[in-house]
Amino acid sequence: MSINAAASIEAVEPTAVSAGRGMVWRRAMRSPKITIGLAIVVFFGLVAIFGPMLVHKDPSAVSYSPLRGPSGAHWLGTTQTGQDVFAQMVYGARISMFVGVGSAVVATVLSVLVGLTAGYLGGVWDEVLSMLSNVFLVIPGLPLVVILAGYLPNTGSLGIILVISLTGWAWGARVLRAQTLSLRKRDFVEAARATGEGSFRIILLDILPNQLAIIAASFLGTVTGAILTQAGLAFLGLTDVTQWSWGTILYWAQVSSALLVGAWWWFVPAGLCIALVGTGLALINFGIDEFINPRLRVAGIGTKKARKAEAARRRSVMQRRPTEPSAVRTPAASDVVLEIKNLQVGYAGEGTFTPAVNDVSLTLHRGEVLGIAGESGCGKSTLAYAITRLHKPPAEISAGEMIYTRPDGSQVDILGLDDDELRKFRWEELSIVFQSAMHALNPILTVGVQIDDVLRAHQPNMSADARRVRVNELLSLVGISHDRSGAYPHELSGGMRQRAMIAIGLALDPEIIVMDEPTTALDVVIQRQIVETIMELKDRLGFSVIFITHDLSLLIELSDVIAIMYAGRIVEVAASQDFYRSPQHPYSQGLLGSFPTLTGARRELTGIAGSPPDLRKLPTGCSFRPRCAHAFDACAEKRPLLLEIGRPGERRPAEAACLLYDPSTVSSGKGLTNA
Amino acid sequence: MRTIPRRCFFYLVTAWAAITLNFILPRIMPGDPTTDLVQRFRGKLSPSAIEAIRILFGQPHTSLWAQYIDYWKNILTGNFGISYSYYPTPVTEVIGQSIVWTLVLITLCTVLGFVIGTLLGMLVGWKRGTKLDLLVPITTFISSIPYFWFAIIVVLVFSITLKWFPISGGYSLDATIGLNWDFISSAIYYAFLPALTIVVASIGGWLIGMRNMMVTTLSEDYVLLAEAKGLSRFRVMFTYAARNAMLPSFASFAMSLGFVVGGSIVTEIVFSYPGIGTVLFKASSGHDYPLMQGIFLTITLTVLVANLLADIVYVFLDPRTRQEA
Repeated sequence: MSINAAASIEAVEPTAVSAGRGMVWRRAMRSPKITIGLAIVVFFGLVAIFGPMLVHKDPSAVSYSPLRGPSGAHWLGTTQTGQDVFAQMVYGARISMFVGVGSAVVATVLSVLVGLTAGYLGGVWDEVLSMLSNVFLVIPGLPLVVILAGYLPNTGSLGIILVISLTGWAWGARVLRAQTLSLRKRDFVEAARATGEGSFRIILLDILPNQLAIIAASFLGTVTGAILTQAGLAFLGLTDVTQWSWGTILYWAQVSSALLVGAWWWFVPAGLCIALVGTGLALINFGIDEFINPRLRVAGIGTKKARKAEAARRRSVMQRRPTEPSAVRTPAASDVVLEIKNLQVGYAGEGTFTPAVNDVSLTLHRGEVLGIAGESGCGKSTLAYAITRLHKPPAEISAGEMIYTRPDGSQVDILGLDDDELRKFRWEELSIVFQSAMHALNPILTVGVQIDDVLRAHQPNMSADARRVRVNELLSLVGISHDRSGAYPHELSGGMRQRAMIAIGLALDPEIIVMDEPTTALDVVIQRQIVETIMELKDRLGFSVIFITHDLSLLIELSDVIAIMYAGRIVEVAASQDFYRSPQHPYSQGLLGSFPTLTGARRELTGIAGSPPDLRKLPTGCSFRPRCAHAFDACAEKRPLLLEIGRPGERRPAEAACLLYDPSTVSSGKGLTNA
Repeated sequence: MRTIPRRCFFYLVTAWAAITLNFILPRIMPGDPTTDLVQRFRGKLSPSAIEAIRILFGQPHTSLWAQYIDYWKNILTGNFGISYSYYPTPVTEVIGQSIVWTLVLITLCTVLGFVIGTLLGMLVGWKRGTKLDLLVPITTFISSIPYFWFAIIVVLVFSITLKWFPISGGYSLDATIGLNWDFISSAIYYAFLPALTIVVASIGGWLIGMRNMMVTTLSEDYVLLAEAKGLSRFRVMFTYAARNAMLPSFASFAMSLGFVVGGSIVTEIVFSYPGIGTVLFKASSGHDYPLMQGIFLTITLTVLVANLLADIVYVFLDPRTRQEA
């Protein structure tokens, strides 16, 4: 087992995620966009299929009542030759929808064939087919369609379908090719290939089903495009003008100067219907987009309104506590720089509230490194975002206090800061280094500019020259040569990018830096170099660090105090050397047992059975109970509190939340012996 | 800086493909444009004109390869034959007279539509979850409207009912064509409604694309970090979110441009605007194959140049494309 054992913890996915396929589809159906879109499309589909059977008027029959407005006899009025516009609309729906759907079917089949073949076979096939679809994408469609239709001697619906699908397949092919390329590298496809399944079977059974959403989106888009193109062609008189379609109606209206005689009823309905069908299809596509790209789905939640509501709630909570003045408090002579008290952060759903951080209290001393560790989904990242107040709805802080003590001794509750105060506070007093520098750096700005941005925002009086000097100084602090300040993030190595992130965090000499898994994405050697840089800078500049990671062995080496989180709660806090020597909580023991140490004595790696609990359905009593080897009856009933466990020779008393150490439950004195 | 030469190569290939398509189509399509044309203009055509038709649309007694060579010779010397709907004006002359109108109108409208749509999309994405979200279904509806129908409605409202603008044409007949104020002002006056149609009809697509990309970009870590750094909202919105969000819009410019150009061409017809769209309409209704082919090639090549320009702008917007060495 290598040091990458850390990854094994990360690999344990929270079980709550898999909601099942059926659920997702049912949720999609509940989206108002999809419902309205479907209703429109189905309505016109029914009109196209059954309409002509129900309308007894002949759309081509002339009569002696020309150019009449809508009336009981002619619902949508009559044309110049007395033809019934309503009948034309109903018959027109059939051709328009038929051409739309027909073209989309042919075009989609073509794009699936080309896209999958190019993506799956790769090599020369890919080169040729991609080039072909790109060429067709760039050639403007309508003039080509016009030419094609012009050459066709018989421009009935089938000819038009052929013409439209020949020009409309390229986009879908391109998207599907890209998708296939990425799917081809996934495990399940690799596995199918390794077991000797034939290409055709793999494409049909493994790749195609995963692209249904995209194929559907491209199909619906092509239907809209085809209906519009057909209308355009018909309007130009390039289709059979005796065959009724919405476009043909518009053609006759145009050549008969319906506009000039004010016969609005002649051309308004056809355009409206085309636009309605297009809207319906686009609405369904929106729904599919949100299905493919979940970020769009939460778009409505991350709103200002929700944030304002939270801020208002916060302020009202603060005001209800008369004993504590909301902002400035009396100076306290202590080296505590941050004190978190009973913090609760949760995710608000429809009428539900799932706490991800529950009743967490922590103390950070000046110049100290506080390490927070735990499995994925234990709430440690939520805690990091809450400390910096960067959490976004639906996450919300529902209780607690975070008292920050300035170097001059004055105190402030971070949760009580308003927007302007918070903007000043963040980065000047407390900054954060994100997990992935790759994603946290703006790809289109140079590293220097991204540091300079901080200086400009917080120190408007600083001259450009002074800023440049400071940027270079910061870069050399973290070990980046200052001539790299003009480099873009993609021109730097992973380690360099993370160093640049740290330089950004240091820009305003903060008192506290929160580091959320800053080294996780890096290889071990670089990881070590970065950690050494952080420790060196900490000693030189005297800031405090909250270091969050799942890599326990790294944490033990670099932190002064370690806090272990499980299911949103702190289960143990101890000085890191004491923790390493004798972890108290059974979970800590399990965690430590699953890591090899770099320098310590050899010991057996045990690991922890089971997986982290679903935060929405926590077990009663102690959350760790189902996975704990030492659990006894009381664990199911009583939730253990974080209690001090005094031990001789410890620098600070260790605290653990386990009933094994609770004198009231362990009457028999059944202590826990360390392995 | 290898991106631009590579794109140039691609556009050359596309141009070749379009020109070759132009050669192949009349030869593989059922029906015979050559005989059709010769029959229809029997007696009117000089022997040299008939020869030009044969080169463009198919010679019965020559090998396909020889025909292809002849065809290229004609293309390279700018000989697209003679237009039949404007007989006996050469195709190049007909196109030359109308292309300027279209180029000015469509270039301006496409740029305007892109800028306005992208800016609005940025705002709607930034203020997601507010009343501005209502713009999304509204623009979806507008972008589903056929351009030419929208043009008809615009004419009905502004020209026929309100009488604010002329119904059709490109300039007042009183004005003399040239660089004088009378002509330019009347051209702007006449172009207003067609421009309005194209801009409004094309905004929707850009708006929705940009809005969705903006929403996606806003959940990126670098936007969160920018906020955390305490940058002004303006800086976060433009430099961090929008600058990144607009990149895909720009990358898909090619596809959208073809769509806008197609829509604009049909729009011209409604307004009888003296541009290439109206000419194409005349050509197609008169089965004027040489003119249709000439217009198709002209539009395609123009779109290719526009795409190349968009690619160059893209290189300035995205530093990552500059590095590929």
